[in-house]
Amino acid sequence: MSAANTETLVEPAIPESESEAPKLTRIPLEPAELAAIYEEHARPVFYLALRMLGDATQAEDATHDVFLKAYRKLGDFKGQSSIRTWLYRITINHCQNLLQSWHRRHIHGTDDEAIWERAAGPADSPLRALETKELGQRIQTTLDSLPEEYRLLLLLVADEKLSYEEIASLTNQSTDAVRGKLHRARRAFATGFNRTA
Amino acid sequence: MNPHEKSRLNQREKEQASLRQDAGQNTQSAAVEFATPEEMLRYDAAQTEVPAGLVERLQESIQKEPPRPRNWWQRLFGNL
Repeated sequence: MSAANTETLVEPAIPESESEAPKLTRIPLEPAELAAIYEEHARPVFYLALRMLGDATQAEDATHDVFLKAYRKLGDFKGQSSIRTWLYRITINHCQNLLQSWHRRHIHGTDDEAIWERAAGPADSPLRALETKELGQRIQTTLDSLPEEYRLLLLLVADEKLSYEEIASLTNQSTDAVRGKLHRARRAFATGFNRTA
Repeated sequence: MNPHEKSRLNQREKEQASLRQDAGQNTQSAAVEFATPEEMLRYDAAQTEVPAGLVERLQESIQKEPPRPRNWWQRLFGNL
């Protein structure tokens, strides 16, 4: 991450400790409850991991680990945030930990926002693509080229079940900051995506 | 090249040109457009399937987990 990027959207990855879940009275979790949670949230969790990591196999492993952690900790969860938000927090931390170790060996894209500010095109022009597998590859290439905070912000905003307040909480900043950065993230994505054509 | 071969070659070229045109039209009809990046990501997410074997793998992992501690009231009163 560059020195210019002082206002970080994402906190440094931290170990997923018990402190992530609200410290509340433990309630029993039945397998049927976990099955229902998995049914509802597996796809968004897998998708977030897939686009954060850029690798389907790693994303599958990450999703497995996220739900296993959720199983271990869900007894402490009493609904101070939504289950989706809580699962996303575990997913983000888990993926960031993986990415931190990978980034020591591989450098992807640039986190220098200034570069994207100079290069960004109009945000309101439509994004055209062919309805093929190529779309997923182009999306991944574009996301990989963005600063991590833009990437994560776009992925979270794409989930209509999350409010701006929840996204702000997940990314540790104010809702105003989320809105401001989202505008820049959209422009950066549009510019990057059109370059992949 | 005799006239018969030339005729067959011309016919084949016409067929191939027709196929190329059809392919182009199919490609055009499959084009999708998105107003915003999040709309595109939403579409992409909807197309993404969770790997089929993941749920079984998760079940196996959960079965290996040690029993979770019971609440104090469960320890005191059982499962009433």
